[in-house]
Amino acid sequence: MHGMTTYFIRRLLLIPVTFIAITFLVYAVLRVVPGGPIEQAQLQIKMAMMGEGGSSGLASEQAELQIPESAMAELKKYYHLDKSIPEGYARWLWGILRLDFGRSYVYSEPVLDVIISKFPVSIYFGLIGYFASWLICVPLGVTKAIRHKSGYDTATSVLVFLGYSIPGFVACLILMVLLGGGSYLDIFPLGGFRSENWAELGFFARISDQLHHTAIPVLGYVMGGFATMTILMKNSLLDNLGADYVRTAFAKGLSENRVIFVHAMRNSLIPLTVGIGHALGLLFAGSFLIEKTCNIPGMGLLSFNSVIQRDYPVILGTLVFLVLIRLTGNIFSDVIWALIDPRIRFGK
Amino acid sequence: MVIKLVETAVLLYSGYLFTHKALPYLYVLVGRKLGFDMKLAPHWKNRIKRFKTIKRGYYSFLIVTTLFVMSLFLEFMVNNKPLFIRYGGRISFPAAAEWGDKLLFFKTQRSMDRKSDFGQAGDDSVDYRLFAAARRDPAVFDSQIKALEAEIGDIRSQLAMAKPGRGATSEELQDYQDLREIIPDIESDIRSVAGAREMFAAGKAAILMPIYPYSPREHLLDMPGRPPHKPGRNNLLGTDDAGTDVFAQLVYGFRISMSFALIVSVLGYIIGIIVGGVMGYFGGWVDILIQRFIEIWSSVPFLFMLIIIASIIQPTFLLLVSLIVVLQGWVGISYYIRGEFYREKARDYVHAAVAMGASEWSVMMKHILPNSLVPLVTFAPFNVVGTIGSLVSLDYLGFGLPVGTPSWGALLDQGMKYLKYYPHLILTPSIAMAVTLFMVVMIGEAVREAFDPKVFSRLR
Repeated sequence: MHGMTTYFIRRLLLIPVTFIAITFLVYAVLRVVPGGPIEQAQLQIKMAMMGEGGSSGLASEQAELQIPESAMAELKKYYHLDKSIPEGYARWLWGILRLDFGRSYVYSEPVLDVIISKFPVSIYFGLIGYFASWLICVPLGVTKAIRHKSGYDTATSVLVFLGYSIPGFVACLILMVLLGGGSYLDIFPLGGFRSENWAELGFFARISDQLHHTAIPVLGYVMGGFATMTILMKNSLLDNLGADYVRTAFAKGLSENRVIFVHAMRNSLIPLTVGIGHALGLLFAGSFLIEKTCNIPGMGLLSFNSVIQRDYPVILGTLVFLVLIRLTGNIFSDVIWALIDPRIRFGK
Repeated sequence: MVIKLVETAVLLYSGYLFTHKALPYLYVLVGRKLGFDMKLAPHWKNRIKRFKTIKRGYYSFLIVTTLFVMSLFLEFMVNNKPLFIRYGGRISFPAAAEWGDKLLFFKTQRSMDRKSDFGQAGDDSVDYRLFAAARRDPAVFDSQIKALEAEIGDIRSQLAMAKPGRGATSEELQDYQDLREIIPDIESDIRSVAGAREMFAAGKAAILMPIYPYSPREHLLDMPGRPPHKPGRNNLLGTDDAGTDVFAQLVYGFRISMSFALIVSVLGYIIGIIVGGVMGYFGGWVDILIQRFIEIWSSVPFLFMLIIIASIIQPTFLLLVSLIVVLQGWVGISYYIRGEFYREKARDYVHAAVAMGASEWSVMMKHILPNSLVPLVTFAPFNVVGTIGSLVSLDYLGFGLPVGTPSWGALLDQGMKYLKYYPHLILTPSIAMAVTLFMVVMIGEAVREAFDPKVFSRLR
């Protein structure tokens, strides 16, 4: 255990290094490129002045197109752009350490509030999607393994490979076309988290409304890991069924069900837990493809929109969460893996 | 209709013959001429034999490779320019010229594609489909002439109505004069159309259009109604909201996606093999340093970074290729190769090669690498699937290839806008993508089973 503890400590120590490397890279890229907050503020001021200038005549219009130096300097100071890149980054990092993420240009609210307000939606879909994929993939993988090379196995393999070749958001799009009203069936709404008249609905109507909005995105989430998880389940169960301890169990005269579901199953589920780290990322950060497709106001959509609107504090803020969750998620799933499977030894 | 089907079948079969009979034959022939042995090692022969016995994978392989090789010649099959055109004494091959332009992008060739090339007024591009229609039925010209004559009549009556009186301003006089001067222009148009009619009647015009005469870059704005159009007789899968044929976009999208994925895979492999080889072969500090670097690198949120970069600089094909390769393409491979090299370098043949004085580079690339190819080959199809998925996602988000490039993702993005009323904009690219990737996955599955067979033993 000693070697493994140092291994995990070393990996934990690597987190700050990785974190700083990534965020500095993005910070520098964002600072260098045009189209930042200053340019946007300039544009806004110009637009506003053009509006006034229309009434006061041509001469003043031309005069006011120049923004005074002092105003520019003030703007830069406001956005901390008057510092050099390393100094600006250090200030930003210092802010992050004190949980001060700055203010969003678009929402005019503290970035942390904006991000936290989006968390529940992403967690809601992420959790349901994660459990749904276990509920679908494990039974499918187990039955496939038990009936290896049967007609059932081949038929479901087609399904699995199809799932592998269609990305989750494309599946959402197809389902919305087929089931979202318009040309074919009209069962589910076209995206969104809840209906607009949510507040007026009764209790049961609320539940049904929420479920209707949940179905398609969750299917998209499930599709994301469907093939890998099912095949992993199948192969790991098959591996175990060929193992010596299973032969021993059979030789003792145990029933097939007991051998498969009690002895082999327990060990076969271990590799599936590796996905937990990745799932954690999805849980908190959402998938922006699915959130954009289904118009779900979660973390994914927030980070996507912040890039489009050049809302730098929000881009960096979501990046902080994304990177931290990813880094800790990977370590977390390795720890879990090492805890449940004593054969796993990291760091050797 | 039946003729088209037969033509398509013949085309596909000749594509198959070319890809799977002619090309391998040429490959071996050229190899022998260059002095190579061109014989497979027996264990590779066995693997390929085993691959061929897995029918679903083998047939998918035949179909995908045939379609991809054929798609390299799409300009001759799906295009609004003819393969061959003859008018009067002049002969031209516009489709071939366009294909050559793409191949030799640094120099442009000139083909008969302007109206002036056909004795007509104006320098607009020619509508070859109209030309082909006229070739079949010269009555097209009669109706054209009739329309032009009607226009003249219309202008004449306008002139009669608007004849300026004595108190007319100079502007009114100018307008009147301008209107009158249009008439000779239209008359000369009529003469040129009549001239064309004679040419056609005398059999001095000929044209051979591609089997599907629409291009993925033209806007069909003359069609009745407003784009997007639903699937119909002429445009098999309808058009998108810019009036561009969807079928043409799908097949050109296939070519772009496949070549994109192949280029990314090859480049990713090259970098991955070098990095992984160095890690595995040298081990020690080099290995640890590069491992830490890869750990940091692979924690960069890949799609997010791509979007940030693409929102700043409009990516071109090559830029996007290099971004995906550098950000993601090489990481997975380098781990495989590292493991393989670690294992192989302890083998006797490596010691023998080192003892014989082979350089480190040649030990790595000539001795170890050929023995570590299996995971690379089995990994390749899945790599292609992943890369195509990334490309479609990027195009869908609007941060992919430049606007106007035929692509599946861009069609999906459009389809989302017209979700309710034009389902074909979503369904057709999804099906094209699903079928293509499904076949590639089948290939990968079969390759894996043939090259790296896993036998599960099980009681009962």
